[in-house]
Amino acid sequence: MTERISVNRLLVLFMALMFALPFLVLVLQAFADSWTAPALLPQEFGLRGFRDGFAGGGAGDAFVRSLLVAVLVTALSLLLAWPAARVIGERRLRHPGPVILVLAMPVLISPFAVGTGLTSWFVRLGLTDSIGGLLLAHLVFSLPYAILLLSTGFGSGLSRSEEMAESFGLRPLRRLLLVTLPEIRPTLAVAALFSFLVSWSQYGSSLAISGGSPTLPVILLPFVGSDAEVAAALSLLLLVPAVLALWASNRAGHFR
Amino acid sequence: MTASPWRNAAMLAPALLATILLFGGALAGAVEQSFTPPLGGGFDTWSLQNWQTVLGDPVFGEAMLFSLRTAFFATVLSAAIALGIAYLLRSHGSATRTAAAFPVPVPHLIVAVVAVLWLAPGGLADRLLGSLPINFVRDQAGLGVVLVYLFKETPFLVVLLMSVMGRRMQEREEMAAVYGMGVVARLKWIVWPTVRTPLAVGSLIVAAYVFSAFEVPLTVGPNYPPSLGTYALEVTQSGAIEGAGEAAAALLLGALASIALALAILGLISRRWPTSD
Repeated sequence: MTERISVNRLLVLFMALMFALPFLVLVLQAFADSWTAPALLPQEFGLRGFRDGFAGGGAGDAFVRSLLVAVLVTALSLLLAWPAARVIGERRLRHPGPVILVLAMPVLISPFAVGTGLTSWFVRLGLTDSIGGLLLAHLVFSLPYAILLLSTGFGSGLSRSEEMAESFGLRPLRRLLLVTLPEIRPTLAVAALFSFLVSWSQYGSSLAISGGSPTLPVILLPFVGSDAEVAAALSLLLLVPAVLALWASNRAGHFR
Repeated sequence: MTASPWRNAAMLAPALLATILLFGGALAGAVEQSFTPPLGGGFDTWSLQNWQTVLGDPVFGEAMLFSLRTAFFATVLSAAIALGIAYLLRSHGSATRTAAAFPVPVPHLIVAVVAVLWLAPGGLADRLLGSLPINFVRDQAGLGVVLVYLFKETPFLVVLLMSVMGRRMQEREEMAAVYGMGVVARLKWIVWPTVRTPLAVGSLIVAAYVFSAFEVPLTVGPNYPPSLGTYALEVTQSGAIEGAGEAAAALLLGALASIALALAILGLISRRWPTSD
């Protein structure tokens, strides 16, 4: 038993090192003012990467814009996905294949293709360079994940609990709050996490739609080949909310 | 709890309408752009010139081949590695699973940035090892692109596979072992039938993503050949007035290839492996 536990610990340590260690270089590079070869550690620490990244408000505005869009997309995706996921998860359809195929189709297509196609409509509707345009473009990709993930939480077990609650006289709203939401919370948390992440890391459609009001990934990419410190600082900025979202999703999923 | 077909249709309607309007609208917009004559001419004028230009451009052929090649290697290798890792970790606790899933929420772009910091000439790996035997960043074969996707997509597939390799599969394996079934037979008759559908669906998502995404090729990929995505971006940014139409035509051809691949894989799953196993 003890041997098994130590093997487990070693494996966790190995996996954590293999997957997390490469990212430590981001932190070092982001806080380095000077780090040239062949030095293994920065020669000078500082905040130039952040200062230059935020110069002119570019990264700050992009960060706020990305966060706002990702939060709104998450909320809208879950709202639209809930009823559809319920129908799919409870296996109410005789032939669910075509419905699932239509709903999942955006996952298969390049976001840049979708962004390029949407641009021609958004120009006519005045939605380019706007939060609304980004929200609609990101929704195309976040909605399929929300539906597919959320549908795994609905099923006969939850339906039985709800029927029981109904037979005890619980009204729909109290049934939702006291039975449905607590039972589906872990799945809801994962669906929210993926919806957020899909929007937060979206590059292709944002590049096509955003134009003069770019998101954080669009701001970041040009620095990758030209200024490692700024690229690392902006990458950290992109990484932190993603990790926080994962932490929040785990907390929301397991808290009872 | 039963519901009428009308009630089901009403519940599906918001998501279906949003998808059809936005995704269908995007495809329609791309089709319209691709048939718009390069020098304009109004919405009632159609031309095949963008399609002819793209299909006659040798760079497009190279880009398609490069994207197919990187998608194939990234998908096959990450699926094989994920299968091995998930099988090894199937009876381990949640800490191991969480550690294995760490890169899943990390955006692709960040993994590409980390790859550049480590693997570019003069990068950290070069400094630690003296020099790397192979060039990974901006290499013509796209090794760096495949490596980034391996690091990012393998954990995604591991998570997907471990979700079906639960206690039930382990109990079946144990029962089979008690009845004298060997390791190879257990892998063939118990593990493979359990994992093949999620593995195929997950691999399909990975292949489609790698085939069409372009932030990773843009960051670590070669200057030539471009990927399909970078080809479309370069055409758009070339400054030529016909760029948008040509980019739309190239991206639509890529989308058609993705859909054909998806239908082929789904057809293969349903024909060779009926779901009622």
